[in-house]
Amino acid sequence: MARGWWLRQRHYFLYMVREFTAVPMALWLLWFLVEIQRASNGPKGYYPHSSPGFVVFSVIVLGFALYHSYTFLSLAGVIIHIKGVSSRLIVLSQFALWFVASVVIAAALIGFAR
Amino acid sequence: MNHEATRQQKPAFAHLIWWFLFAQGGVVAAILIPVHVLVQGILGPLGIVPVVDRHYDTWVRVLGNPIVKLYLLALIALPFYLFAHRLRYFLVDIGVPAARTLPAQVIFYGGAIVVTAVTIWVLLTTAPISLG
Repeated sequence: MARGWWLRQRHYFLYMVREFTAVPMALWLLWFLVEIQRASNGPKGYYPHSSPGFVVFSVIVLGFALYHSYTFLSLAGVIIHIKGVSSRLIVLSQFALWFVASVVIAAALIGFAR
Repeated sequence: MNHEATRQQKPAFAHLIWWFLFAQGGVVAAILIPVHVLVQGILGPLGIVPVVDRHYDTWVRVLGNPIVKLYLLALIALPFYLFAHRLRYFLVDIGVPAARTLPAQVIFYGGAIVVTAVTIWVLLTTAPISLG
């Protein structure tokens, strides 16, 4: 197979983008693990990340993360089969679950900051 | 049950575990990661909203909660089983056939196990468990 096979068709390219989403998400989670670990340095050793570079990095990661969410949750209609329930409804329920979870987590992350 | 049948069941069982971890990692990544990146990586650092990890006191208090520790373990560790699988195939697809081999599998899935172990260690050593 030629090396650049995935550049020839949009469909193949998007498949590779989906596989690649693992890299930025992994980097962000490793950063998050460091953020947790830094809390053991005591109040003086703790300072939150605020650099523009970190925000830009997060924006890029968010793009890839959203693409993973979109493709993965859309697959639920293919994977999950419930008699009498259309695959469209199953996919919709997955997106609804994603939305509710996001609102709850955002509320917790912001609410516990006070 | 003859020996042949036993032999055939073993790899299927291993597959079940890896596929379960892969699928769970996929679900966790899809449902939980975007909101964390948005709130902790963008809105918090820009000062648009207050976020729990922006201050030592609020961060340590939350990190001490055992339920939060379990949640963070799932959030951070599970996606790495998805990442390991995706990255391995990404490498195969861009023309690195070595990523198919057994040593590559040990490195990638072993890497996910290492991340799990490190996450457990970090969560247990960072903030003492408290129910307050």
